Formats: sequence, structure tokens, C-alpha cells
Amino acid sequence: MMGILDALMPSAILFIFAIFTVPVLRFIHQYKRMHYRSLCILWILTIFVIVTVATVRVLTKYYISMEEDPFKQIFLVSESKPILSTSFFIDSVSAYMVVVYLTTGLISMIYSVLFVGEKNHLSERYFALMLMVLGSVIAATFSGDLLTLFIFWEASAAGSCLLIIYRKTPESIDACLKYLVMIIMASGFIVYGLSIIYGLTGSLNFWAVREALISLPDKSLLIIAFVFVACGYAIETAIVPFHMWLPDAYTAATPSTSAFLSAIVDQASYYVLMRVLIYILTPPIILNWPLALAIFSALTMTVGNLFALAQTNVKRMISYVCVADIGYNLVAITSVKPLGVMGNLFFFFVGGMTTALAFMAVGILNNLGIKHLDDLSGTGRRLPITSLSLVIAVCSFSGIPPLAGFMSKYMVFTAAIEGGMVWLAVIGVLNSLLQTGYLLRLVHYMYAKPLKRRFCGIREEPKVLLIPVYMLVALIILLGIYPSIILLMIHPAAQQLNLLLP
Amino acid sequence: MILLLAFLLPLLSIPLVYLVGRESKRKPAGIIAIFSIIDLILLLCTVPEVLSRGRYVESYYWMPMLGAPLTLFADGISLSLAAITLLLIFSSMIFASDYMEDSGSLWQFYLLMALLTVGLVGVFITANLMVFYFCWEFMLVPTYFIIGGWGYRESYRAAFKFFIFTHAGAVAVLLGIGAIYMLTGTLDMFQAKELLAAAPQEFLKWIFIALTLGFAVKMAIVPLHMWLPDAHSEAPAPMSALLSGVIIEAGAYAILRVSLGTVFPSISDVSVNVQMLHALSILGVISAFYGAMTALAEDDIKRIVAYSSISHMGYVLFGLSLYPCVEGTIGAVLHLVNHAASKGLLFLNAGAIMKQTGVRDINRMGGLASKMPLTAFSTAVSSFSIAGIPSLACFISEFFMFMGGFQVGGNNSLYYATTTFMIIATVFSLAYVLRFFWKIFLESSKIQEARDPSILMSTPMILLSIVVILLGVWSGPIIHLMSSAEIS
Repeated sequence: MMGILDALMPSAILFIFAIFTVPVLRFIHQYKRMHYRSLCILWILTIFVIVTVATVRVLTKYYISMEEDPFKQIFLVSESKPILSTSFFIDSVSAYMVVVYLTTGLISMIYSVLFVGEKNHLSERYFALMLMVLGSVIAATFSGDLLTLFIFWEASAAGSCLLIIYRKTPESIDACLKYLVMIIMASGFIVYGLSIIYGLTGSLNFWAVREALISLPDKSLLIIAFVFVACGYAIETAIVPFHMWLPDAYTAATPSTSAFLSAIVDQASYYVLMRVLIYILTPPIILNWPLALAIFSALTMTVGNLFALAQTNVKRMISYVCVADIGYNLVAITSVKPLGVMGNLFFFFVGGMTTALAFMAVGILNNLGIKHLDDLSGTGRRLPITSLSLVIAVCSFSGIPPLAGFMSKYMVFTAAIEGGMVWLAVIGVLNSLLQTGYLLRLVHYMYAKPLKRRFCGIREEPKVLLIPVYMLVALIILLGIYPSIILLMIHPAAQQLNLLLP
Repeated sequence: MILLLAFLLPLLSIPLVYLVGRESKRKPAGIIAIFSIIDLILLLCTVPEVLSRGRYVESYYWMPMLGAPLTLFADGISLSLAAITLLLIFSSMIFASDYMEDSGSLWQFYLLMALLTVGLVGVFITANLMVFYFCWEFMLVPTYFIIGGWGYRESYRAAFKFFIFTHAGAVAVLLGIGAIYMLTGTLDMFQAKELLAAAPQEFLKWIFIALTLGFAVKMAIVPLHMWLPDAHSEAPAPMSALLSGVIIEAGAYAILRVSLGTVFPSISDVSVNVQMLHALSILGVISAFYGAMTALAEDDIKRIVAYSSISHMGYVLFGLSLYPCVEGTIGAVLHLVNHAASKGLLFLNAGAIMKQTGVRDINRMGGLASKMPLTAFSTAVSSFSIAGIPSLACFISEFFMFMGGFQVGGNNSLYYATTTFMIIATVFSLAYVLRFFWKIFLESSKIQEARDPSILMSTPMILLSIVVILLGVWSGPIIHLMSSAEIS
């Protein structure tokens, strides 16, 4: 039997170790400065090993009894009125998501340690914050009622703010302010929507809300609540009319922050959106939202790609690719089909890894002073290994097999066709083509043009920094050639959708 | 096991090429050549099975959740195309070992070549649409870098154009494949063919159009041909041989196998059927004329050959439009094989001439016949085969297609007209080939010094000349092999 401690264990471990991280790393910094990086990585590896053990414990407990009880609810107070208590909820979707966070989280934290290093004396706080954000994201994923979800989700958003502001450059302060304002507006919307839902159903528990909403006679209030909640989460996900904060934040942040946020917080926000829309709040049987969302999805893809096309700053271009990725994710959500959920879950992993890979590679180039498209000229020959990783990111974004990006795009678009929205699939495919066009421009600059004189002094590639980058490359190629590794986990999760949709 | 090995063998060559390539400039080419010969022998091992049962199939675990096991198969058509592909890779690698010697970072070139081989062979021997698409797109990235990195003038521009055009085509193919999966729940070509019959008709028509459009881009059928002249003429000669010899052929093969073989039989509306085939037939005629006439007007040695490829893909499309007539389809597939050998050889010759003289403009050549007799001989064989002179390869297949055209014309009079036009197009082919040959080899000499290329470059030229002549005079076995395949 699973207790509340089991479900909370991974996040609790992360929180506790995050608190210890500051003194431990300060100690290392003081006395073992020579080996700061390696000891730091060792410390983070230790934390991840412990968290992995805790997670594996939860997952095995879940998977053993998955057949008879696919949706596992755990209540903090289960005696008198469980539907009012804080609760946690484990199904195979959330189990899968935790695996995704831990994998990409580990790699991007290794990158951060190598990237930030010992130069900046605040680095230990930075790593502690990353652990905090990871912990709250995992808790939000496991949460079983809308309030717990909201609290942990806001905690992770607050942590993200501090991660963005880390370098304290004027741009990052500006971007962080923008992000904060948007997040606060979003939480206002969500809380307002949640209060209406509470009034309608008398509970915020996922199942109780679901059951109550299905038999709801008058839906006019529900529509208002839905609009508020959906808008709130749309702001946090950066769906197009609300996307302005994302490119600013990701461009101004340190590359390691951008990689971490795009790989984890971004994907978690898609997960939350999917969870709220498909699983809990309003499946299409209650409220018919897929068409509206499809329009937003088409808008998000198109706007993201068109703006990316116009960018000359490489990092900003990748940030807009993130916006376009949101559109692709929405395509799959709108289908409300098991295949779409499969595509989504695959995309959460792969899209996160690919954007993280791109940000990491761009971060390495930024360190050498290469920021704009022009500066990339000729770097393909001077920095072959770094450029190759960027080429692989580009190919994965464009959906060229055998890279993992292809499988995710294939599933997403096929799901759209299956959901009866061929026009959306066509728009998505055209967008994908546009994306290939402007991303190939990066490759064109790297290999076809002569090196700028300014960068002739570059001799050495930062070999150590490339290790986490190539871990991601290996994962992307592996998942592209043999997706069954992950599909084995995704497939049952997607099939569970059939249990929910009549 | 045989086909899996044949599929993965080129992958095994990659680490070897990497290790050897950093030290030696010629050895990696040899490694790829040896691997392709072993691959060829492996594939030929399946011939008895194919002849007796019509098809040889292997299936492995890959992605059952998406209806995609790793199904490999060989029948007469795919086997003969894979065989000519490997033969062409072998020849162009031997050719490249000398031809490419002056260029830099050769190990990267050969690494990309080895990667390309995987896609080139795989596309012909798989029965699963997902694996097929993997191989189809797998050709793209290595080709981009090969054309861009080792090509001639503005090569990255040409490569960019190639990449965007073919990727756009592939994206249409992806939609079609996704729709097939949605309708049937399987991605196996043969299963899908049976299950599609029960699918809604209006979908099928659009699937057919999307797939054919996507494949036609790679095949460079006229309104979609703009990438071809640049890419083929700016690529290094061994790559041009593969581009013209295999990659555009893959488009034609895919139309036959996927559009016509899988989706088309399920379209039950006869008038739609006939319209589609008519469209293919007319597009074929337009391509044939356009390519031939532009080739007649070009002065650049490689662009002439490139435009001739467009013209010949028009012939093949015409042949495919005769589906399900056996003469027409067999003729089209045979033409693919013959054209691959002839055009590959012609591109190698053009490369040899360019390397030995340093000139691209055919007006500035002339009188090379006495200085480069061997090149003159193999150019004569390949170009006259392209023109359709009897006893050389392409004649037989063109003859088959025209025969099929008149046969189908009995029921459908449009084909009388298109077949007649195709026959007229051969006159233009002869015209540009004669002009090409005359200007380079026979006219009064404008080049002082030129010699036949070295032994490494001339061996593959002689080898392919023999193949072209053999295919022309003794095509019985290969036709026998092809007709063992189940076409309709």
C-alpha cells in the first residue's frame, strides 16, 4: 500500500538536500577549490542517486498494482472527508513524467555545474534553487488536487524567476520582471477560476471535480471558470497571445538556466495543461474546447516560427523555437486520442532534450563571444564538435529521422489526422518545413561561410563542457533509432486515456 | 537474417572508415567499396528464394506500438534496384579514391558516404513505411553536406535548395504515411494494401496525391525539378553519379511501390483512377521534352547531363502511368536500372573530363577523342545508351515502355498520343547526345594537353561500360527476375 510519504519522498529529498547544498558547496569552495567542479558534480550525483532510489520505489509500487488500480489516489487525511484533504495522484502519465524530469534534470544540472563553475561565488545558491525547482515540479506532477497542483506549480515558477535573474544583468532583471508580472496575473486567473470550480463542485480533488462536472446541469458558470483556468495555464505555458515573456526570459537568462527551464519547467507546464484539460477539468464530453485550442495551436506554431525566422540572435531564435514547440504539443492535446497522448508524452521528453541541447550548444558558443547569426560563419570548421551538436539539434527540431524529434512530430501530426483535424496537421507540417528552412540557415552559416577575423583566435573547444551535451545527443539518437525503450512506458499511459473517455 | 545483415552492413563500415580515414586518403574509399560488394553478394543470396516464391521477407521487433516492426523484404524489383545501387556505389567509390584526392577532410567525406549508403540500400529493401521513411530521409543530411562541402561553385546554395525541396516533398509523404496508419493501423505496405480497400474513398485520393507529390519532388518531375540541375551539377562527380543514378530513382521506385502499389488499387472509382494515371502520363511527357530541350541549350557539361536526368525521369513516369500493364511497369523499372548504370557512368565520365582538362564549358573542349580514347569510348557507350541506340541498355526498356503504351492505348486513346510524343522525345535525346559528344570529342581541338585518367578512375568507367553493354544485349535474366515480382 502506498502512503503519503512514498509519493512525497522524491520531492522531500530534493528539498532537504537543496537546503544542505549551500553549506556543503560553500565548504568545498572554501577548502577544496581545486576540485570544486568534480566535487560539485559528485554531490549532485549523490542527490540524484538517492532521489532515483526513492522514485524507483514509488514506481515499482505503482506498477505492481497498475492492473487493478491504474489511478492511484493518496490522501493526507483519509478518515472523515478525504475529498477536501490535500492529496496525491499517481498514474502512469505522472510516473513517466518524473522519469523525464530526473533524466533531463541530471544532465542539465551537470551542464550548469560545468558552465557556471567556481567563478561566481553565488553558484551554490543557484544549484540549490535548481534542486528546489525540480522538487516542486515533481510534487506538482504527483499532486492529486487542483490546489496542491497550484501551490507546487507556483513554487516552481518562483524558483524559475530567481534562476532567470541569476546573473543580474539589466536584461535579465527586465525579463524576470516581465515573467513575474505574467506569472502573478496567471495565478490570479487560476485562483479565480478554481474558486468558481470549488463553488460548483464542493471540492478541488481531481476525481471529485471530474465526477461532479460530468453531471453538472448548468454549464454557463463552468465556461467562465474554464476560461480563467485555461488562460492562467496558457500564460504559464506561453501559448501565443501570452507568449511575450518566454523569448525575453530565455534569451536574457544564463544558457544553463535556459536549458534547465526549457527541459523541465516548460515541459512540466505542458504536462499541467494536458492534465487539466484532458484528464481532469473538462474532457470534451463536458465542454467542447478542442477546436478553440486547435486555433490557438495553429497560431502558436505559426507565430513562433515566423518570429524565429526574423531573429538574428541565435539564442533568441532557439527561444522562439520553444514557442513553436508549444504549438506542436497543443496539436496533440487537441486530438484527445491515445495516439495524441503518446505523441505528447514523447514530445515532452524529446522536445525538452532538444531545446536543452540547442541552448547548451549556443551557450558554449556564447562563451566564446559568438552571439549572432553572422558570428556563426565558419565555426563549423573551427569548432567541429560543438557545431556538430548544434547540427544534430537542428535536425531533431526539423524532424529528420533517425533523430528523436522525428518520431515525436510523426505521432503528433498523425494524432491530429486521427482526431479529424487534417487542416491542423497540414498547418503543422508546413510549419515544420518553415522551421527546417530557418534552422538550416544556421547550418548554412556554420559551414558555407568563411570564419570572421574576430574569431580566428579560437583554438580550443571546451571539451569538458561538451560531455553533458553529448549525453543528450546520444539520448536523442538512441530514442530516434529505437523509440521502443520509451514507448513501452508511454503506451500503457496512453491506453489509460480510454478508461477516462467514454 | 540475410537482409538484416545487408541493411546494417554499411553501418558497420562507419567505424572502420573513421579509423582508417584519418591516416589514409584512399583506403576509406576501398573499405566502402568492399563493403558494398559484400552487401551485393549478400543480397544476391536471396535470388533463388525470390525466384521461387516471388518475395523474401524478414521481420524483427522494432516499434510494435506504432504498427512498425522492422520488416525487410526483397522481390525482383527491389533486388535489382538495390543491386544496381550497390554496383554504382562500388564504382563511384573506386572513382572517388583518385578523383577526390586533392580535396581536404576526406575522412569526413567518406564517413558521410558510408552513412548515405545505409539510406540508399535501405530504401529499396524495406516493406514497412516507417523504415522506408527513415531511409528516405536518411539520405538527406549526408547528401547536403557532401554537395555543400566538396562541390564546386556556390555548392552550399545548391545543397540548401536540394535539402529544402526534398524535405518539403518528404513532409507531404509523411502526411500520407500518417493517414495510412490512421486508416489501417498498420504501416506494412502489403497489409495496408489489403486493409485500405475498406477505407473511405475521398481520403484515399488525397493520400495518393500527397504521396505522389512528395515522391515526384525527389524524382524531379517538371514543375518540381528546380533543385536538380543545381544540385547535380555542383556536386562532386561521384556524388552526382549517385544522385542521378540512385536518389532520383528512389523517387520513382517509391511511386511504384507505395503510391501505385499500396494506395492506388484501393481507389475504386474508375474515373478518378484514370484521371490520376493520365496526369502522370502527361507530366511524364512534359518532363521528357523539357529536360531534353534544355539539355540541348546548355553549354555546361554537367548541366547537360543533369537535364537529361529530368528527361529520363519523364520516361519512367510515363512508364509508371501505364500501371497495371506489365510491359509498362517492367519497362519503367528496367529503365530505372538501365538509366542508373548509364547516367552514373556518364557523370563519372563528365567528372573525369573536367578533372583532366579543368574545363566545364563544352564549347571550349573538342578533339578529345584522340587524346582520351578510353574516356571517349565509355562516354560513347553511356551517352548513346541514354539516347536509346539499340544494343545499349536504355533501348530495351524504352522499347518495352512504348510497347506497353500502345497496348494500353487500345483501351484508352490518350496513350496513343502520349506514346507518340515520347517517341518524338527520343529524337531530342539523340540530338543533345550527339551535340554533347560532337562538341567534346570530335570538333577541332581547342585543348592542348589532356590524357586519359589514371587506372583507378578508368577501371570503374570500363566496368560500368561493360554493364551497360551487357544490359543492352543480354537483358533476359534481369527481366526474368523483375517479372517474378508481384506488381498489381
